[in-house]
Amino acid sequence: MVQIALVSCGTEYSGIQKEIEKAALKFGAEIILPEIDLDYINEAYEKFGFSAQSSSLKLMIARAMSIVEGKCKPDAVFIATCFRCAEGALVRNEVRRFIQNNTRIPVVTYSFTERTKADELFIRMEALATTVTRRSILAREKQEGLTLGLDSGSTTTKAVLMENNKVIGTGWTSTKDIIESAQTAAAEAFEGTGYKWEDVDGIGTTGYGRFTMGQEFGAELIQEELSVNAKGAVYLADCQKGEATVLDIGGMDNKVITVNNGIPDNFTMGGICAGASGRFLDMTSRRLDVDITELGPLAVQGDWRKAMLHSYCIVFGIQDLVTTLAAGGSKADVAAAACHSVSEQVYEQQLQEIDIREPLIQVGGTSLISGLVEAVSETLGGIEVIVPEYSQHIGAVGAALLVSGMGNRHE
Amino acid sequence: MPANLCITPDLGKEDMDPEVSTRMIILSSKANVSESEVVNFLHMLNLPLTIKWTCYGAMISGKDKYVKQAIKELRKLDPYGIFTKERGFAPGDPRRCRGHRYGPREGFHQMEKEFRILDYVGEALRNPREVEIEKKEPVSVDYFKEALESSFKEESNNSSDENKSEDDKE
Amino acid sequence: MVKVAIYPPNSLILADLIERKGHTPLALQKQIRQKIKDPEIDSPPMNITEEDPIKGLKYAAIEVPSGVRGRMSIIGPLIDAAEAAIIVDGAPFGFGCVGCARTNELSIFCLRKKDIPVLEVVYPSDEDETMLMVNQIMDFLDSLPGGGGDLEGEGNVLGESSEENLGGQ
Repeated sequence: MVQIALVSCGTEYSGIQKEIEKAALKFGAEIILPEIDLDYINEAYEKFGFSAQSSSLKLMIARAMSIVEGKCKPDAVFIATCFRCAEGALVRNEVRRFIQNNTRIPVVTYSFTERTKADELFIRMEALATTVTRRSILAREKQEGLTLGLDSGSTTTKAVLMENNKVIGTGWTSTKDIIESAQTAAAEAFEGTGYKWEDVDGIGTTGYGRFTMGQEFGAELIQEELSVNAKGAVYLADCQKGEATVLDIGGMDNKVITVNNGIPDNFTMGGICAGASGRFLDMTSRRLDVDITELGPLAVQGDWRKAMLHSYCIVFGIQDLVTTLAAGGSKADVAAAACHSVSEQVYEQQLQEIDIREPLIQVGGTSLISGLVEAVSETLGGIEVIVPEYSQHIGAVGAALLVSGMGNRHE
Repeated sequence: MPANLCITPDLGKEDMDPEVSTRMIILSSKANVSESEVVNFLHMLNLPLTIKWTCYGAMISGKDKYVKQAIKELRKLDPYGIFTKERGFAPGDPRRCRGHRYGPREGFHQMEKEFRILDYVGEALRNPREVEIEKKEPVSVDYFKEALESSFKEESNNSSDENKSEDDKE
Repeated sequence: MVKVAIYPPNSLILADLIERKGHTPLALQKQIRQKIKDPEIDSPPMNITEEDPIKGLKYAAIEVPSGVRGRMSIIGPLIDAAEAAIIVDGAPFGFGCVGCARTNELSIFCLRKKDIPVLEVVYPSDEDETMLMVNQIMDFLDSLPGGGGDLEGEGNVLGESSEENLGGQ
């Protein structure tokens, strides 16, 4: 059984201890607490050097130290503190860095509220458990042979065909029936390459429909999107070593993943407001009567300050844009204001929950909207934002890359 | 059994009874009685209690009124060496027992620290004293000024002494 | 005899001394006991559920972390019931309920702003300081209504709950 050490403060008193353990058990892992005595707590705390007032945070530091010093030998570490606790957030991030810099043990962090339920933790625990059991696969940095990656998302299905470390074909379609959509996307990817389904050496699947597709196509790799997207992003952006953040502002939900040496260690996902999604930009382009592909370049020419939005809301915000247009405002300014609004709200809702590490790799369909990428960089104080080639196919690329480490099905 | 922290315990009727309470009996290191004497004494009381011998003394569990009665009698044995504290979890409850989970339970470290001064507490109880609490006030500005000036004076005297000695050398 | 809140709420020494003087210590363990013995709830280890941090809203706003509110849902009722309080500054805090500095700050503030007799002492580091602390506490306990029981524990050491006594006043 994979042993996950719990290094946390406040989980019992937020009533989520059982949820954490339930989530771990589902993926064949168990939660353990590093055992330490009083003298060791003080010694470890002094050595670490962070003056925390809360004694439970001192205990967290000491537990992390016992892992780094090898007194406790877990396979993975789950670090969690209460959402909105400043002291907790500081210790959480420092402890995370400390473990990552001094061991090869995978870490996942989380800031929780009393509403946190096991299913929110599933994807993190799955990522943690698979990082342990599939370390050699996740370590893959080069694609070999001919592999197909399929990413079945809630709105779109993507397919990527790769050969000898190069993308040779891509496919994209909106998700209807999972299998049919995957076949359509794959057919598009095969087009013009001269290859057929039978020729591929391996298939990797990811996304919501990964199990259904995996079974149907006999995939060698069926993997959650956290590890796959992180891997795909750092591979395409050439950031396989060191730290990075992957941002995907989706059509319906947003994902932010922080990555250390290609392995994800934190993740937030939001999807409660259309105003913080690609949908807002879709609506704007329709109102402006421009194609979504033209919205980005248009926004880059505009100035968001000239078209003030009083609301992030997809109803009231769009209304403000229409008012600006009616008052003679330029289309470019309106497009810029829309991009700015989405990026600001993504920041307020999600990016603040996570420690953003440079570079930020922006992926997904919306990463093709240049105005949005510019707005994200500006919102984050001008940090470096990389949009790699094939950024809209990130999951499929990740799946194709990772499955190439699992052997050739023809051999 | 997996070392899962959150076991849903299979507790008996008594364990679930809110009227049943648990007490830890902690002996200071200078106590006149031993752990075994305490346990024997508790057994001799013949009260319907569960009695457990532990490293720090004993643990008793039972209906609140019997627990209180037992504590009252027990204290007479050594009023300055026997201390007691309530415990939320029943003895051996798997949710807190070290045998079932890794890592000590939360309250353990604090008890460990408080135990270190129990001898002094017992001594203070044995010899009660009138104490007056003196609140420390900041010194007056005049006093502070005086102190500064005199320390400056001293320093300048010292340094002129040093100069003198250097002059002597030359 | 009165109900005395203590901080840290799980202190062995404070609870013991209060009982010796015939008062009732408002110790945390009793609260925990009520929670963990509830067969209706299956949320081990503490049987704290999503509901408890919500109950904690009585003491701290929604913007306060769930861990603080969850802890306050256990400690808060003790503060509400307090008729006197002893606060030990610089005490060795444990790691569970009292492991959060923000909860401790809030709890101590709530005790101070209540209109009840409060004694604040400093956790001792040697024998003399312990002597001082213990005597201060014993004097304070004597000064409370119904206080002044003797150490031998005769008569009132473990008198029945103070509720009855107070009811008669």
